[in-house]
Amino acid sequence: MSAETTIAETMIAETMIAETMIAETGNAHQDKSESGENFEPRIVGFLCNWCSYAGADKAGLAQVPYPPNVRVVKFMCSGRMDPQFVLQCYENGADGVLILACHFGDCHYKEGNFRATQRHRMLLHLLKQEGIEEARCRFDYVSAGEGDKFVQVVTEMTEAIRQLGPLHKRFIPKPKGDS
Amino acid sequence: MSDAEMKIGVYFCKCGTIIADKIDPEKVAKEVCTLPGVAYCKSCDYLCAEEGKAFLEQDLKDEKPDRVVISACSPRDYEQAFRECMGAAGINPYLMQMVNVREQVAWVTADAEQAVQKTVHYIRGAARRVSLQVPLEEKEIEVCPDVLVVGAGPAGLKAAMALAASGRKVILVEKTPVLGGLPQRYEELFPNLECAPCMLEPLQAEIFQSKNIEILTLSEVAEVVGYCGNFNVKIRRAPRYVDAVKCIGCGECVNPCPVSTPNEFNCDLDQRKAMAFALKGGLPNAPFIDMKACLRGKGEDCTICRTACPVEGTVLFDDQEKILARNVGAIILAVGASLYDCSAFPNLAYGTAGDVYTSLEFERLLSASGPTGGQLLTRAGTPPRSVAILHCVGSLDEHHISYCSGVCCQYAFKFNQLVHHKVPDAKIFHFYRELVTPGKEECGLFARAMAHPHAQFIRYGNLAELKVEAANGTNRLRYSEAGAEREVEADMVVLCPAIVPSESSKRLAAMVDTALDRFGFFEELHGRGDAGQSKIKGIFLAGTCQSPKDIQGSMNQGMAAAGYVLSQLATGKKLKIDPVTAQVREDACSGCQVCRGVCPYKAIAFDLDQQVSVVNALLCHGCGTCVAACPSGAMEGNHFTAAQISAEIEGILQ
Repeated sequence: MSAETTIAETMIAETMIAETMIAETGNAHQDKSESGENFEPRIVGFLCNWCSYAGADKAGLAQVPYPPNVRVVKFMCSGRMDPQFVLQCYENGADGVLILACHFGDCHYKEGNFRATQRHRMLLHLLKQEGIEEARCRFDYVSAGEGDKFVQVVTEMTEAIRQLGPLHKRFIPKPKGDS
Repeated sequence: MSDAEMKIGVYFCKCGTIIADKIDPEKVAKEVCTLPGVAYCKSCDYLCAEEGKAFLEQDLKDEKPDRVVISACSPRDYEQAFRECMGAAGINPYLMQMVNVREQVAWVTADAEQAVQKTVHYIRGAARRVSLQVPLEEKEIEVCPDVLVVGAGPAGLKAAMALAASGRKVILVEKTPVLGGLPQRYEELFPNLECAPCMLEPLQAEIFQSKNIEILTLSEVAEVVGYCGNFNVKIRRAPRYVDAVKCIGCGECVNPCPVSTPNEFNCDLDQRKAMAFALKGGLPNAPFIDMKACLRGKGEDCTICRTACPVEGTVLFDDQEKILARNVGAIILAVGASLYDCSAFPNLAYGTAGDVYTSLEFERLLSASGPTGGQLLTRAGTPPRSVAILHCVGSLDEHHISYCSGVCCQYAFKFNQLVHHKVPDAKIFHFYRELVTPGKEECGLFARAMAHPHAQFIRYGNLAELKVEAANGTNRLRYSEAGAEREVEADMVVLCPAIVPSESSKRLAAMVDTALDRFGFFEELHGRGDAGQSKIKGIFLAGTCQSPKDIQGSMNQGMAAAGYVLSQLATGKKLKIDPVTAQVREDACSGCQVCRGVCPYKAIAFDLDQQVSVVNALLCHGCGTCVAACPSGAMEGNHFTAAQISAEIEGILQ
């Protein structure tokens, strides 16, 4: 099926784009103006069940402390990450959102992480329009074995948001809900 | 039920002192008890221990909470156990939410106060979420225990045999007239020169005599509808024109046949009759009529074979194509692989020079049942004075096939040994890019080839720089070594091409909606953990259609596929369906079908009458990708609904 080949090829291309973006967003520690003395960033981490959540558990087994600023919400797959949830986080007072997925080729559900990268890219465009820094919405890959990387990403993210300061902006659109 | 009316019970596991030392349970309980709906917060030393679970079950029975939050270790460890406690206490297991404070708070938070606060945030999020959780039921469906095995090579035969031995009914579909697959064409096998017929024929005989296996040769799968547990399959069976049950396999009909035609079972290296046996020793031991070659196919009224047949009613000129319908619960795909097309290398002169062969053709030349009766002869009819074996033809080459097929070196060293047996004086040249012989027995033939007095190993960097030319009844091989142009003469040239997916893979993949990988092999559920299973439930993979492999690997995977079927579709047991799946709210569905495009499992169908998407819960793996993709919020992920996640976000950020 040629459609599958196309997806595989696109996935490789997406990885490269996503990695470039990660490099860019990771370095975006520019604006220090708003950071208060006792500012503790509030960050929501969306983790997929099979890789990144297990990676976070690995970090726990190592019993090495890391910043407590990331509060985890578990999905079965990063593909469940509806951009609305990210917007809601900012709405509800988060200063940053971290989306962690399986590495390409490792997704338990084949290509959910690929969908997540597409949605993350769309989100970055949207956030830019709202004047929200890219660094406040970081996408990265953490495997079930990468406890160290989880700690590193959480530490970097916390520091990056600390530098940026609190997010005062509030979104007008309410997240979709059906309750 | 509003939050105020809802009774939420919180259980805080202290994990002995492991959690309690880092997170003060009393401080947590004090804050948690003020949360809306939380009726109580109880702590326990070890909730996962037998006493802990007994306490939980009894307390749930006594307290009768509407919802439960368990703050303990990672749900990856004990969520299932606690769900069982819920069930035993008469509460739906999906009305519980776990909070992972051991791995993700206690062990990783330096400051005790921050640890307490983080725990409270998590419990608040979980309490909000759980109040919106709804009871979910595991559905069970009846399944058909019968199994369709497509392909009767080593993998398919082994799978069919294992399933039949456990009492399953198996439908074994094979497109050629005989069982055995490609190894039926080999005389001896690496690594120990075992006799291939001795290995395959008893297995075939067992299959043939099994009352549980329906063998359909000259047959192909024409249609598959349904899903795991209940596939309706249509099989197209081409006419054999010989009643294989009545036929006694005497072969009296073959010799008198007046028509000769190229023998594809010997790679067209000799001729066969229009009435012919496919391969000697292969079962069923009955010939077939090639109607394209037969005089009757050309409108003539020849009856020579029927007249020669000693058993009346065996030759059936009016035999016709049949479409057979079968119902099965699982399908094992074992359709094998092909060889890379050597004509892609004009410099190797395959198909143009007289004595350039593929490895499969060479196998036939070495076989006692082959065109030369097992004598190694050139087309001129003389034993070769020299044989050049070209390894890695197309393999490890970014312009052709990037991977290593893993078996070619081993059969090349087998060829080395067999050439030595048949023509002891013959020189043997091994032209190779890389040499690969993994495995505990596989280096034996390699060592013999290396030690062989007439064998020479020549490494090449680029196959395109190797030139084969026919010259004076032999072949001249020109190559460069250390910058110098060199050449050798070889009466026979054997090409060892990369193993590539077979033509039928593409057709079957489209039919059963399973994916092919970037090379065209069937894509496995997991490369290491579940290579015998496709991404589509109920469709299993065995042999070289999944990846290049040797006979041992194929047979092992055949057994593995049988094991998957036996464990996943156990006879007498219903198939359980995990309730954590996607679900369409039909009133909200706009019929855009975006969900269908993103589903990796082809689990979403489209109802043309209602113009809405429909999720097949049996095929859905519950990833939620379609839920996030749905532009109208009509797709809902059970246990991960937008409202539940939204409530959790609200709770943890409060």
